[in-house]
Amino acid sequence: MTDLSRRDFLKLLRSGFLYISGALALGGLLRFLDYEPNPAPQTEFDLGPASNFPLGSRTLLSDPPAVLLHTQSGFSALSLVCTHLGCTLEDQENGFTCPCHGSRFDAKGNVTHRPAEKPLQSLRVEVTDEGNLRLFTA
Amino acid sequence: MRPSFFHHLHPPTIPAAQARWRHTLGAGGTTVFLMLVLGVTGILEMFYYVPNPEEAALSVQVITYHVPYGGFIRNLHYWSAQLLLIVSAVHLLRVIFTAAYGHPRRFNYLLGLGLFVLAIMLDFTGYILRWDQGICWPLTTGTNLIKTIPFIGDFLFRLAVGGGDACKTALTRFYTWHLFGLTIPVVVLGIWHAFRVRRDGGIAVPPPHARTDNVRISRNELVRREVLTMFIASILLVLLSSFFPAPIAPAMIGKPSPDAETRAPWFFLWVQQMLKWGDPFIFGVLIPFGILVILAFIPYIFPKPADSDIGTWFPKSNRLAQVAATVIAVFIIILTLLNR
Repeated sequence: MTDLSRRDFLKLLRSGFLYISGALALGGLLRFLDYEPNPAPQTEFDLGPASNFPLGSRTLLSDPPAVLLHTQSGFSALSLVCTHLGCTLEDQENGFTCPCHGSRFDAKGNVTHRPAEKPLQSLRVEVTDEGNLRLFTA
Repeated sequence: MRPSFFHHLHPPTIPAAQARWRHTLGAGGTTVFLMLVLGVTGILEMFYYVPNPEEAALSVQVITYHVPYGGFIRNLHYWSAQLLLIVSAVHLLRVIFTAAYGHPRRFNYLLGLGLFVLAIMLDFTGYILRWDQGICWPLTTGTNLIKTIPFIGDFLFRLAVGGGDACKTALTRFYTWHLFGLTIPVVVLGIWHAFRVRRDGGIAVPPPHARTDNVRISRNELVRREVLTMFIASILLVLLSSFFPAPIAPAMIGKPSPDAETRAPWFFLWVQQMLKWGDPFIFGVLIPFGILVILAFIPYIFPKPADSDIGTWFPKSNRLAQVAATVIAVFIIILTLLNR
């Protein structure tokens, strides 16, 4: 410690002060930019009266991208958001195809062609007390 | 007369070899010119562009179809940006193939590589600012790729996009990144890069004792050649902008249908092709980033080019770097052609 002259001590203090201020400012900047100003994407969708979707119907929805089925066992829905990188799938004869990177899924949502690895997400559908259909994407 | 930055870049005389077109290809100088055109046309576009998700695409249509010369200004901006990427890539390859990155120019090589990455990011953000149906899927996949990065992916996504559904929210941040967040670093690094070219002894040529010709040219001659290059670049820009309009698509209302444009912009077609192979993180992030790391390491871990080889085309002592750069370039070109 005795080797440290007054001048060196002040130098050390100065550079330490500058580096710490810089690091604090950078941390502050990153926290500033990290805020999410946009509301989280909607996860609940009102599809209108359930009677619009008769038994045996198969409806393509565009927002949220999904296919809605009404079968003997009730309503069910399959998300048409590709599980690879999020493009909307094209509806085709026996399944769905992603126009972005060529993933293919069968009608039940299982992967039949890579690059996607996860099957399509099934979405929860509920009939409200008023008889409206409600679709949940999360 | 007090020396200015102009005089720093243009000393009274320089070795003729430093300003021969067949040595430099005029690429570095052309990038400066293209960036000036981008700056001027970009400011002009700002007089009409409305950075608001509801109005952005319409304001682009106003510039393109209603404002006198607006379409031409926009085409100039578009073509300068595309040419900038091509000319920068040529410049990078020229520097590698002539072993120009050797000591003392190693650091300036890194500055140049940083500028190239920033130029790609500027081209992508600028393309997104069209905010029409053509940009939603490339934007979605591009920003979802960021999310696949372990640990910091979500954080980087928020930094870039601001969170939410990119096709509905990214405009504000991409606008600010394009105009300030990326442009200011490009200006600073660009001036630094040009300054370092002179500070490191000018454009790389063999050292004086290994030089075969000792002809020098004057400042006036150098400026004359620069002006000539700008003139040729201007003619090309005007021709491209007159006959090939910049892409535009109908405004985005809600989510675009799946038959909207799904092809990436041309400079990312090679990444899109790799993404068809599997895991997005490996093919969309790791491999492109790995290529960048290899390029960055060329001056540091590849065999050091001989002093007398610095600034000559395809020298022997530099073979490995030439092969690496060629493999990378061919890989990217083939993937781009495969993606149709």
